[in-house]
Amino acid sequence: MDAPLYPPSQAYEQPAVVPHRMDTNATSIGALLADPATKAIVIAEIPNFMGRIGNEQLKPHLYNFSPRSLVQFGVFKADALDRVDRQLATLPPITTFAK
Amino acid sequence: MSDRHVLIEPGRREMMIAAGAVLLPLSFPTNAQAAMASEAPLGLGREQAFDLDWRFFRGVADGLEAPGADDSSWRRVDLPHDWSVEDVPGGQSPRQLGPFDKTAVGGTATGYTQGGEGWYRKRFRLKALPADARVEIAFDGISVTSEVWLNGHLLGTHVHGYTPFAYDLTPWLVRDGENVLAVRARNLGRNSRWYAGSGIYRHVTLNIFPSPARIARWGVGAWTRRILSGHAEIDITTRIDNADPALTLVTRLRSAQGKIVAEASTPASGGVSQSLHLDAPQLWSPNNPYLYSLETELRRGTLIIDRLAQPWGVRIVTMDAANGLKINDVSIKLRGGCIHHDNGLLGAVALADADTRRVLTLKARGYNAIRSSHNPASATLRAACDRHGMLLIDEAFDAWHVPKLNDDYSKYFREDWQVALAALVLSARNSPSVIMWSIGNEIPERSTTKGMEWCWKLANEVRRLDPTRPVTAALNGVLGEPIIVSEKAARPGFGGREDDASSAFLDVAGYNYRLENIEADHQKHPERIIYASETFPHDAYDYHALAERAPYMLGEFVWTAMDYIGEAGIGATKRIPNKGMPYYLAQWPWVNAWCGDVDLIGHQKPPSLARDVIWGLSPLEILVQRPVPEGQVEFVAQWGWPDELPSWTWPDATGQGLAVRLYSSGDRVELHLNGALVGTKALTASDKMRVEIPVPYAPGTLEAIAYRGSREIGRKRLETVSAAARLRVTPEKPRSGRDRQSLSYIGIDMLDAQGRLIPEGEMKVRLTINGPAELVAFGSANPLAIGSLRANEAMTFRGRALAILRSTGAKGTVRIEARADGLQPAAATVRLV
Repeated sequence: MDAPLYPPSQAYEQPAVVPHRMDTNATSIGALLADPATKAIVIAEIPNFMGRIGNEQLKPHLYNFSPRSLVQFGVFKADALDRVDRQLATLPPITTFAK
Repeated sequence: MSDRHVLIEPGRREMMIAAGAVLLPLSFPTNAQAAMASEAPLGLGREQAFDLDWRFFRGVADGLEAPGADDSSWRRVDLPHDWSVEDVPGGQSPRQLGPFDKTAVGGTATGYTQGGEGWYRKRFRLKALPADARVEIAFDGISVTSEVWLNGHLLGTHVHGYTPFAYDLTPWLVRDGENVLAVRARNLGRNSRWYAGSGIYRHVTLNIFPSPARIARWGVGAWTRRILSGHAEIDITTRIDNADPALTLVTRLRSAQGKIVAEASTPASGGVSQSLHLDAPQLWSPNNPYLYSLETELRRGTLIIDRLAQPWGVRIVTMDAANGLKINDVSIKLRGGCIHHDNGLLGAVALADADTRRVLTLKARGYNAIRSSHNPASATLRAACDRHGMLLIDEAFDAWHVPKLNDDYSKYFREDWQVALAALVLSARNSPSVIMWSIGNEIPERSTTKGMEWCWKLANEVRRLDPTRPVTAALNGVLGEPIIVSEKAARPGFGGREDDASSAFLDVAGYNYRLENIEADHQKHPERIIYASETFPHDAYDYHALAERAPYMLGEFVWTAMDYIGEAGIGATKRIPNKGMPYYLAQWPWVNAWCGDVDLIGHQKPPSLARDVIWGLSPLEILVQRPVPEGQVEFVAQWGWPDELPSWTWPDATGQGLAVRLYSSGDRVELHLNGALVGTKALTASDKMRVEIPVPYAPGTLEAIAYRGSREIGRKRLETVSAAARLRVTPEKPRSGRDRQSLSYIGIDMLDAQGRLIPEGEMKVRLTINGPAELVAFGSANPLAIGSLRANEAMTFRGRALAILRSTGAKGTVRIEARADGLQPAAATVRLV
C-alpha cells in the first residue's frame, strides 16, 4: 500500500465559467444581485428583497446562500422564488463570472 | 499525568548514553514533575515547562513591559490561564453573574463573557550557559492578540489566537542575572463568533540550545510512504539551523517499550532527507493508536547538541470517491463531532488532563473524529487525539478577507495567513490523528473570483508545507458557479473537469448542512469526495444511513459533539405561546450553546442517547417529552433537540398523557407501566429508529423492551424517584498526578434515599477541599448564567454538578466534602501521587 500525495499545482489561472442559467436554488444571492438583468427580476418580484437580506449576520454570506436556501428561515417565500425562477429561465446562459 | 512528554520514559538518558552518545546536560522532562522543577534556574534542553509563577494584572495599562515596573501587587497565576472565566471584577447581580455580564460586547457569541486586556510578567534566571547558547520561548497560544517583551525589548506581536509561536530571547537575555518577561494579551471588541477566552491559555515552554546549530522549529516532517509485506517505509525531512559539516543527524524510531526499531544517520545540512525501514510495524488507527517515539538528534561527534522526541504513528490514510476513507487499507466512516476549543467550566484553559477527558468522553460515545472548529487545535488536544485514536481535522480560519464580525481575524488575514498556515501545518504534521487540513469555515467570499484565487493560494500553500494530507474546507449554502479549471491551476488529474467555484481547489469537500445536496452533487461530480463537516443533531439517522450506503460520503461531524460556552442558546428549546410567531431568539441569561450531544460537564444529553442507538452503542433508549402546558408549543432551535429527558418523574403531570419516545434498533418495542403493557409499536425503516407512544403518567416504573424478530435485544427502565435525600461525591479517578498540570474531576450528584439521581434536581452545594489541590472550577451543565464557575458553592442542574481540582504540587490525599441544606452530606478522597 502506497500513501497518496497531494502536490501543489503549477500556477493560478482563473477558471472558465461553464455556461449555465441562474436560478434561486443554486445561484448565490451575491451573484443574482451582481448581474443587472437578474437583479431587476429579483427586485421586481420581491420588492423588499434588499431589506430581507440586510441583517448583519447574513450580509457577509450573500455569496454563500441562495434565496431558496433561506426559505427555511422565513426570509423568502417559495412561491415568490418560483416566479423569479420562471423569469430567470428566459434569460440567456451566463458565460462569465459575476463581478 | 501529562500527555506532553509521555513517550520519554524515565531512564531514557541512561539508554542514550548506553547507545554510545555523550549527552550534554540537556534537560528532557521525563514526566509532569518536571513542571515543578522549572522553578529552579533553567539549564540546557528543549520543552522545559515555563508555566509556573507568573504575575497577572487584569486591566489596561502602558509601560508594564519595563523591567522595573512594579508588579508586587499582581496576582500570582500558573499557566495555562484564562481570565474570561473568572468572576467579573466587582460584578453586580443580576446584571453580572460570575464571569457573565449582560452588557459584554461579545453578547451571545462569547456567552456574555468579558475580554479586555491583561498583563503577565515572569522573572527568571538561567544556569550558567555556554557562550553560544540560544534561548527560545514557545507559546502554544495566547488569546486573542499578544505582544511579548524581554527585559523591556519587544520580541514580537502575534495576531492569531490559536497558532503556536516562538521568540528568540538570546539577544536581550541577561545571562547572569534576573530576566523579566512581559506579555500583554488583548481580547478586544467583537472578534469571535464563539467563546475564545483571554490570556495565555495554553502551555509555555523554554528551549535552551547549547549552540546556534539546532533542529529547526517544527523542522521535522515524517510520513509513512509505503506499508507492504510486514514492512513500512518512512520518509523524514529535517531542517537544521546553522548546520555545519561536522554535524550528524540521527533519526530513530523507538517502540512504546523504548526499543530502537529503526535508525538512520546522515551528515547534517540545512535540509536532510532520510528513510527509515521498519519491520513488523505496529500500525496506528483509531482502534489501536500505537505510538512510536520519533527521535531526532543532532550530534557533533559523540556529543548530542540537540534532541527532539515526538509521538508518531505509522499509518496510511487514503480517500477517494469509489472506496471512501481507509486507514491502513481498512474502511472507516467518520463518526465525527465538531467542537469549539473551550474545556467547559475551565474556559479556554488547555491542560492535557482536560483535553484527554474530552477525547475519552467522545470516544466512549462512539466518536472517532473531531473537527477542531474553527481554529487550530491545541497541542494538548492533538496529543490526546494521537494517544487515544481520535481522528482530527485541523482548521485554520473562520474568516479570510471578509469579516464576519467587525474586529475578527480578517483584519490581519492578509499579513498573517502564511504565518498561520505554517504554524498550523508544520507544528501538527507529525500527529497521526490529523487526516485533513481545513483552510476555512463558511468563508463568505469563497466563490467570488477573488475568493477562488485565495482558495487556490491557501490550498497550494498547505500542499507545499505538507503534501501528504488532503486539503478541505467547510462549505455552507451554495457552492458557486460551475467552472472548469485549467491543467495548470487544477489539482493533478482534475484539470478540464467541471466543478464548482467553492470546491474546485479542494481535495475533499466539507458540506455544512447540505444533506439534501450530497447525493445530487454526487450525480454531477462522481469523483467528488464529500463529508458532512457540520450537521444538525436531528439529522443523525439520515447522515448515518447515507454514509453507510455511499462510499464517496466519508461521514459526518455533528454541530456539536459537546456543549461549549458562547453561541448562547443556538440549541435552545423553549415553550412559547401557540399563537403568534413560532420563534425564539435565545439571549441573556443563555450563555452556552446547548447544542452538544454531551453537556458542558461531560454527561450525555438526549441527542447523545439517540445517537447511541443510531451508531449501535445501545439497542434501546427511553426519553420522555416534558409536558407542554395548554396554550403553548415547544420551540426547538435548529441545532436543538426536543425537551425530552430519560426521566419518569413528572410530579405535576399525574393523569396527563406524556409522549414517550423510544429509540431502538429493533423492529418492535413494548412499553410497560408498573407491570402493565401500555403500548407496543413496530419499527420500520421510515421510523428512523424512533417511535412515540403516548402514556398517561402515573408514578412508578416505566419499562421498555426492544425486540428483533422474537428475540429481546434490549430492556431499559425509568423509575419515579422520591425526594432528594443525600449527595454523592465521585472522583472520576481515585488517583491523580501531584504536579501543577494535573486535574481531578469530581462529580457531585443529588440522590434520593434509594440512591437514584434526581433528574431535575437543582440545589446549592457547598464544597470543602482539604489537601494539596485547589478548586479551579465548580459548576453545572446549566446553559444559563447562574453564578461563578470558581466559587466553592454552585447549583446543581439536572441533579449534577462538577468540581475540577488542580494539584498544587505536593503528594498527598485530597478530601472533597459536599454539603447541601437538608441533604445528607458526602465526601470522597483522591490520592495525588
